[in-house]
Amino acid sequence: MSSDSQPLTAEQQQRYARQLGPGVLTPAGQARLQNATVLVSRVGGMGGPAALMMAMAGVGRIIIAHGGELISPDLNRQVLGHEEGLGKPRAEEFADYLRSMSSFIEVEAIDHEPDDQEAMELAARCDLICSCPPTFGERLRLNRVAVAAGIPLIDAAQWGMTGTLMVLQPPRSACLQCVYPEAPPFEEFFPVLGAISAATGSLAALEAVKILAGSGEPLYGKMLSYDGYRGLPNVISLSADPDCPCCSGAGQNE
Amino acid sequence: MIKVLVVMTGRSYQLATELPAELELAEDARLADALAAIERVLPEGESLPASCLVAVAGFHLGTVARHDNPELKDGQELVLIAPVAGG
Repeated sequence: MSSDSQPLTAEQQQRYARQLGPGVLTPAGQARLQNATVLVSRVGGMGGPAALMMAMAGVGRIIIAHGGELISPDLNRQVLGHEEGLGKPRAEEFADYLRSMSSFIEVEAIDHEPDDQEAMELAARCDLICSCPPTFGERLRLNRVAVAAGIPLIDAAQWGMTGTLMVLQPPRSACLQCVYPEAPPFEEFFPVLGAISAATGSLAALEAVKILAGSGEPLYGKMLSYDGYRGLPNVISLSADPDCPCCSGAGQNE
Repeated sequence: MIKVLVVMTGRSYQLATELPAELELAEDARLADALAAIERVLPEGESLPASCLVAVAGFHLGTVARHDNPELKDGQELVLIAPVAGG
């Protein structure tokens, strides 16, 4: 994030008027958002609402990564898609939608899942990563590059009517590999309801905005889960593994 | 005897309807005893995923496969969060 944030223009002050004030954002915080860069990997059910809420809040540069073409079953939850986009590549379609919501921001589209090298290069350009992929392999990759770059990782996940959210940044918290030392098995066709996807993605965006703008109390080191099936929220404090192969040395050179 | 509240959420939340809301355990019961008691009451063929997170009194203690094993106290809440993923 650039330290020499440009002040907000009159048009930006007007756009963001409803989110500037006590208990929300300061003008300086809003300017920090405008100068921030976020990677949202997979912009489907959760990443889509997360990217949309960040775009509307005024995060200045959003890099989205999502491969493949939009298919009908996506449209129960992927809010950046629409029926006219069926069969088209998701990344550019979704990026165009985000751009249509705000001329104050820039959106970059990556039409594939970044590999280790590309993810590392992206992390070096970002202030924060919002991780919303369906596989733990990808989540753990994003975790590794976030730890290496020393930036926060927001991990959002869902299944059925339940969602989980973690905010991680060693050494102030555990990393994702501390929480899942062995990657859980991948389930290709998992059930999911769009309402929990959007709720979880929106909360991920809220945490990102708080961190980037320097407002509120981010959920560092905690997992928020919401069991929508029974309407049960839960928060637990996550433990860092002192022997974690990913993050045990994080912060030692700071 | 002590009573421990049980909350199961995440991937396996639907299994929670089969579980008692609380477990009655021996005075000196530890976390592993509680997990074993839960396994015994799960429907036939079901088991807790190895990567299921375990938390007691709001603090994460590891996974079902690898966790600290503290002695439990009467009234504590045991939370099990089976891993979820999905985009």
